[in-house]
Amino acid sequence: VTPTVAWELLATGLVTGGVYALVALGLNLQYGLMRILNVAHGEFLMLGAFLTCSAHTALGVSPLAMMPVAFAALALLGFGIHRLTFRRLAATSPNVDVFEARGLMVAFGLMFLVQNAAQLIWGADLRGYDYLSDSLPIGGGVAFAANKLVLLAVALALAAALIVLLRTTLLGKGVRALMQSPVGAQLVGIDTRRLHPLVFGLGLGLAGVAGCLLSMTYTITPAMGEPYTVTALIVITLGGFGSMGGALFAGLALGVIEAFGMHFTSPSFKAVLSYAVFIAVLLWKPDGLFTRR
Amino acid sequence: MTTSATDTLRRDAGTLLLLAAAAATLPAWGSDFAVSLALACAMYVALASSWCLFCGTTRYLSLATAAFFGIGAYAGAIAIEALPWAIVVPLGAVAAAAVAALVGSAVLHLRGTYFAVLTFGLTELLRHAVTAWERQVTGTVGRVIATAPERDTVYFTVLAIAAAAVGTSIVVRRSRFGLALAGIGFDEQRAATLGVATRRIKVAGFAITAAFAGAVGAATSVRWTYIDPATVFNPFIGFQTVLIALVGGAATLWGPVAAAIVFSLLAETLRLSLPQLYMTALGALLIVCVLYLPGGLGSIRWRRGGPGRAPRAGGAP
Repeated sequence: VTPTVAWELLATGLVTGGVYALVALGLNLQYGLMRILNVAHGEFLMLGAFLTCSAHTALGVSPLAMMPVAFAALALLGFGIHRLTFRRLAATSPNVDVFEARGLMVAFGLMFLVQNAAQLIWGADLRGYDYLSDSLPIGGGVAFAANKLVLLAVALALAAALIVLLRTTLLGKGVRALMQSPVGAQLVGIDTRRLHPLVFGLGLGLAGVAGCLLSMTYTITPAMGEPYTVTALIVITLGGFGSMGGALFAGLALGVIEAFGMHFTSPSFKAVLSYAVFIAVLLWKPDGLFTRR
Repeated sequence: MTTSATDTLRRDAGTLLLLAAAAATLPAWGSDFAVSLALACAMYVALASSWCLFCGTTRYLSLATAAFFGIGAYAGAIAIEALPWAIVVPLGAVAAAAVAALVGSAVLHLRGTYFAVLTFGLTELLRHAVTAWERQVTGTVGRVIATAPERDTVYFTVLAIAAAAVGTSIVVRRSRFGLALAGIGFDEQRAATLGVATRRIKVAGFAITAAFAGAVGAATSVRWTYIDPATVFNPFIGFQTVLIALVGGAATLWGPVAAAIVFSLLAETLRLSLPQLYMTALGALLIVCVLYLPGGLGSIRWRRGGPGRAPRAGGAP
């Protein structure tokens, strides 16, 4: 491999990996903190993408301006969903294992519901629009569409912001305490009834932002969410459930591994490769590769 | 065995015989459409009953039904070119059970969400692996099944598999094996302490579930005349099975049977005209059922019924 090709593959991998990391961060908040394995995460990403696409094509709103809107809309939806389903589930489940299993089934229900409702509303066609699609050279003879670079920058910035938020603020301290021990957190006076919907909403909001960014670069369909959910699952398994730094690193690493793997084998093996990595990690290191215990 | 236990055994076996006999007369008087509806019902009765046999009692949430169904379908599609029908279907069952035993001994130490996610990932891995293999080796995506048996042969085979699945559930519930499975569902460590060989029991249970799914796959896929990995490894087969089991009541015997019939009738009639609406309703129903009826529809009746049938504290997985 020549240095130019390697640099190109690395850069491509990092750009895709940035998306993976961003999608995984939201899922990781929900699973790492609340034991809600939200397999409908990708569907909410899809909602963010369609929201942005509709606003841009119908009203001419800039997709970048839609970012906070998508975040707020999805976060509100998250509060609503949490209030209607997971709050009752947490109150009626006898223990965490039962809660986790039932939560997973509810999430599967949400996946069916949202995906097919979107198909009813928007139809199954591919959609897309052009925005910031001029290519920008990034050095070394490699150029990327500007929107992809925006995507990577926002993904890294959000990940950094989230990590700083969790590390330094009182809110973050409460959230981390909840991750370590839900009962202990309640004992020292952390209001889980307020924190849970907040974090669930934050996770959905992040999915909305990811969807908004993705709609700039790729064509979108109501069925686009599922592959992102699966990739996010792989990423948080690799990075360790509940570890934000791990998710960021694992997302970028998976992007790079996929870019190189597809270069050396063939694109039809991409899915096989990622599932094989996923199952291997689940079997041998179910706590993730980067967990510190 | 107490008299009431003998009574319930006689009642369950009698109900099963009556239902199977009634269904067996259908090809003589029903239309083509009625038979294909009944075929779909029998398929999901077999899948849901066999799923509950292992997953309902041990509370392992397996999403791998589609994987075993697909393995059976592929084994059947390859074997039917050369072998008689009476061997093709058991072959599908054996292939699926062998994979289940192999996978089960590697992954059944994982519990809860890990197991659910892993079985889902396994189905997808198999689907993509078969797709890649077909592209690389045979150069096609799907397979055309040229030699399919008659409609009634397929119908009676699937009906027999469904009856066998329910019959096996009836027998297993009353056996030491069934008690061991239920013990694992209550508290695995306690069961192991009391001398249950939990690992062996779990692998055996998982393999039995897979055998039924594989047999159903081998028997029904020939009806489709063309199969490809996306249709036979469709995760939706697994989801629908789990949904039927949970709505019907995973810990009960007749709940999943009733739910399978209702859902298949709904699916076959609504899916063609309003597919998205059907799936949306299915999602909503799943959520409502998990939230408000965690023991399933079958558990409602048992609350007033005999003491031996009361639902467990945790209800469905």
